[in-house]
Amino acid sequence: MNAPDRFELFLLGEGEKKVTEQTDTRTANSAVFTFNKEDHTLANMLRAHLLKDQHVTFAGYKVPHPLFATFELRIQTDSVISPKEALVNCCKSLVGDLETLSREFTKEYELRKMVAGDGTGIDQ
Amino acid sequence: MEYDPMIMDTEATGPSVKITEAGSHHVDFELQGVDLAFANSLRRVVLAEVPTMAIDLVEFSANTSVLADEFIAHRLGLIPLNSKNVDDVAYSRDCDLCNDRCENCSVTLSLHARCTGDDIMRVYARDLVVDGGRANQWVGSPVITDPEGLGTVICKLRKGQELNVKCIAKKGIAKEHAKWAPTSAVGFEYDPHNKLRHTELWFEEDASKEWPKSKYADWEEPPQEGEPFDYDAVPERFYFEVESVGNLEPDAIIQQGIKVLQQKLASVIQTVTEGEGGDINGMNGADDYNNGPRSPDTGMVGSGWQGDTGYTTPGYGGGNASTWGAGAATPYGATPYGQSHSNGWS
Repeated sequence: MNAPDRFELFLLGEGEKKVTEQTDTRTANSAVFTFNKEDHTLANMLRAHLLKDQHVTFAGYKVPHPLFATFELRIQTDSVISPKEALVNCCKSLVGDLETLSREFTKEYELRKMVAGDGTGIDQ
Repeated sequence: MEYDPMIMDTEATGPSVKITEAGSHHVDFELQGVDLAFANSLRRVVLAEVPTMAIDLVEFSANTSVLADEFIAHRLGLIPLNSKNVDDVAYSRDCDLCNDRCENCSVTLSLHARCTGDDIMRVYARDLVVDGGRANQWVGSPVITDPEGLGTVICKLRKGQELNVKCIAKKGIAKEHAKWAPTSAVGFEYDPHNKLRHTELWFEEDASKEWPKSKYADWEEPPQEGEPFDYDAVPERFYFEVESVGNLEPDAIIQQGIKVLQQKLASVIQTVTEGEGGDINGMNGADDYNNGPRSPDTGMVGSGWQGDTGYTTPGYGGGNASTWGAGAATPYGATPYGQSHSNGWS
């Protein structure tokens, strides 16, 4: 069998980096970030969030080949911040959002548990 | 904040959750204040990347049942094992305490059954016994939820047949094999009235008569007669229905999923900002990035923003409560963020 190992979908290979940056010389203030061992889960979330940054003029991603767990994220910015900064800001902002989500979820779930109380809703 | 705040609609409110139903094996909730991509990423990560325990290796000492070894091994792999606080268990491949496996990165379960009576004997998941130590008191026990306390049937034995196996359960994720999935299903729905026209409802005469209404249809305003299509509308309310397999509590699945996403983002931040501070060229200092011809104006070299490392070093460690600064006490405090790096944001 020549099927690739399943763990190649999420384990970085020897010496492989999670993200590499390649400046895109065709246009100003743009760069292509290649992410290894990641898929649409991360790519689409980053892309969508980058577009909300007023300094980002372009953000798009592609998965060059569906059999390889990699994607390329192209970011172009106005000259105020670099694509790299935009990416880092975006990631930080998303981590913050996820933190809020986690807190909100815990709060709601605990509340739900209290209301359900004695075994009606959440038992075990 | 060290950087320009992003202009975005979610920042006003942030994500919010409303739990509509919850039980020991499922949770239904509505997610608001996030975009479609965010909600979908949560769905994807919960489906495929939340770690759990499952039997991964099986050593057969005796198998005189009618089922082949690999057949039984496969069945054993699919038995849900309790994965509460699975963070206490290391991935076998990363475990530094052992070469092969140890109590820190695996759970050993054994099963020995022989049929002596005339009746056909069933071997159940409850017959799996945890051998030796494990990372915590929960991890690796078969999930048994039926009132009789039997668990799933592994195989049937007739008089004189025997099954004697030793199973090694390891931590893993469903991306590698579906046996590690924490959920049996994740329902994901938005826009019950199809106002956004993200889907096309096939019909013979009238789509609204022929298609059943979603149970969430009453929660949202139905489209008005003759209402013009809103080109700028985006999905805003997402309805999740998470069903647990039983190895993790439904809330733990969501929380773990969030954590996995945060870890992904953290590892991106970490690799991208690596080596910054001393080296003003940042990532360009590394050979990998340096090999293409570059016109000066597009430059990572020497332009205004390059030397600005404002967001790296100072922001983190030292109590600056930036967007996620409150994170010190949170689960991802001990994640890729924290590791041993000189850029100080541990």
